[in-house]
Amino acid sequence: MDGFSYYNIFETKGMEYLIIIAFLALLIPFSIILNRKVIIKRQFSKALGVLTSSILKIPQGVFYCKNHTWAHLSKSGIANLGLDDLLLHFTGNVRLNYMKTPGDSIIKGEVMTELYHDGKMLKIYSPISGRVEETNLLLTEDPGKLNEDPYGTGWLYKIKPNNWKGETNSYYLAESATEWSKKELQRFRDFLAVTMPKYDPDTTIFALQDGGELRDNLLSELPGEVWNDFQQEFMNP
Amino acid sequence: MSENNPIAIDNDGKPIWKFLWSELKPKGKIFTPFNIISVPIILLGLTLIVIRFWKGLGSVTNLTQEVPWGLWIGFDVVTGVAFAGGAYVLTFMVYILNMKKYKSIVRVTVLNGFLAYVFYAGALLLDLGRPWNVINPIIGNNFGVNSVLFLVAWHFLLYMIAQLIEFSPAIAEWLGAKRIHKLLSGMTIAAVIFGITLSTLHQSGLGALYLMAKEKIHPLWYSEFIPIMFFVSSIFAGLSMVIFEGSISHNVFQKQISEKDHKARTGIILGLSKICAGTMFAYFFLQVLVFIHNRHWDLLNTPMGYWYLLEMFGFVLLPMMLFYFSYRRNNIMLVRVAAILTILGIILNRLNVTVIGFRWDAAIHYIPSWMEVVVTLTVLFTEIWIFRWVINRMPVLRDSPSWASKH
Repeated sequence: MDGFSYYNIFETKGMEYLIIIAFLALLIPFSIILNRKVIIKRQFSKALGVLTSSILKIPQGVFYCKNHTWAHLSKSGIANLGLDDLLLHFTGNVRLNYMKTPGDSIIKGEVMTELYHDGKMLKIYSPISGRVEETNLLLTEDPGKLNEDPYGTGWLYKIKPNNWKGETNSYYLAESATEWSKKELQRFRDFLAVTMPKYDPDTTIFALQDGGELRDNLLSELPGEVWNDFQQEFMNP
Repeated sequence: MSENNPIAIDNDGKPIWKFLWSELKPKGKIFTPFNIISVPIILLGLTLIVIRFWKGLGSVTNLTQEVPWGLWIGFDVVTGVAFAGGAYVLTFMVYILNMKKYKSIVRVTVLNGFLAYVFYAGALLLDLGRPWNVINPIIGNNFGVNSVLFLVAWHFLLYMIAQLIEFSPAIAEWLGAKRIHKLLSGMTIAAVIFGITLSTLHQSGLGALYLMAKEKIHPLWYSEFIPIMFFVSSIFAGLSMVIFEGSISHNVFQKQISEKDHKARTGIILGLSKICAGTMFAYFFLQVLVFIHNRHWDLLNTPMGYWYLLEMFGFVLLPMMLFYFSYRRNNIMLVRVAAILTILGIILNRLNVTVIGFRWDAAIHYIPSWMEVVVTLTVLFTEIWIFRWVINRMPVLRDSPSWASKH
């Protein structure tokens, strides 16, 4: 046959396999770095002191009540109660005043703590009923623990509940809690847009509607009247 | 009303013929820079096309027996179809992968794809010695099943129909034809699936056309993998064209685009640049593999070799890195630069296979005549005119009427 030549297609197979392995090896860091945006955004927000939903701690196994308290039942049958991370990001560092002592009984909807910052106060209502077993004395020594670890060492009360199932039935858990937290953040933005002009028409602290992010601990800088409105909107059962 | 067409009643209740007549009138300024440049070229090009059919190919082009396919096929057909690939990639992402984020740009991309195929299939006719025979693969007077062009002809025809069906809800909204709109909207997903299936094969099919020309194409560009290369590169070629053409449309037609769509744009462009970066990464490695497989190391140190390296490193690797970094840094301007480089790279690649690397060793090199360039520009400008006509009248960039969103 004219023009026929033997073409050994296997001669380069070794090199080709190596290239494919190199491609797969490079693909892993390539796609990891390409998708790493989310982590950077979170660190960025924290560094700037910006409050976005990506920096919130929302443990999925904890029951969240509408007034931003949480309850978690441990294996021993004692429930831990505390304040959620979103509320603490609003208020910043606070002092607590416990209304109940160990041995007291508490009813859902009763005031369990008062939260103070600079003379401004929020009432915290209990999410469950039961008998108070312990209050967290660590917080009186080290109030910073509350903001640092609100779901762990920053617990407020240990309570023996008498109607856990019935009372926590309507509370948020897992994904619904995450969704609710995001909605609450948006609701807070809307709340500020409405409330601020009422008390300070010249305010230029925010122009949030165009997508500007909230500063962290914003509520701590606002006057007591805003705290009262906040109590009405967000903290009452 | 005396003329009441029961199928289509104009949105304002006007009789349909009056409505269509009023739509033919120009909207907007007549003497824009684009109009002033394009109209003389279009008129000149139409004259040249008449001369081409009257006096033959030789009177208008520099094509010879040695080089029978030139700029019209290499640029209009092969390159143009690669850029129209945005339609099938985007419809795949929106309708099959359910990436709702890109829904707002599907219509304009499908419109672009449809016009591209219509015009570039038309440009194919210019190159045929006996253009009246183009109907043969369809009607069967000697189908020509031995040729890849049989497949290309059928695919073009079916794909144009599929894209027309995908786009037709916009036409129905323009005409106010509510019942037909409902029917057409139901057919969208079927047309999309059909269209994507067709696209994968005819994108590679255009590459397969050149498989037979082993001795004629420069060894650095010829391989048995040309079809796969054409298919993979059509993915990021189409998306780069979406980014590029989207930037222009967004500025020119910005009054039509809703607030919501304006804001969504950054996210869309960044998402597309991420996909381009990934695809080009794979494509670059495919090219490396093919090069290793063909073992033409000695050819790298020749002028054509440098040209090949320029195409691979300057117009594939470089824009890929640019897409990658611009996505990480959220830099829209850099994405646009990367898109333009990619578009140039695709033009370069296609022209290298079809024109520049084709009979590169001929005694008389083929260089397109100015008349071929004018005709190519005519095809392009006419397509832009029709694109502008449609955008200014039909709900492509602007939101659909409220009754349409219920379907």
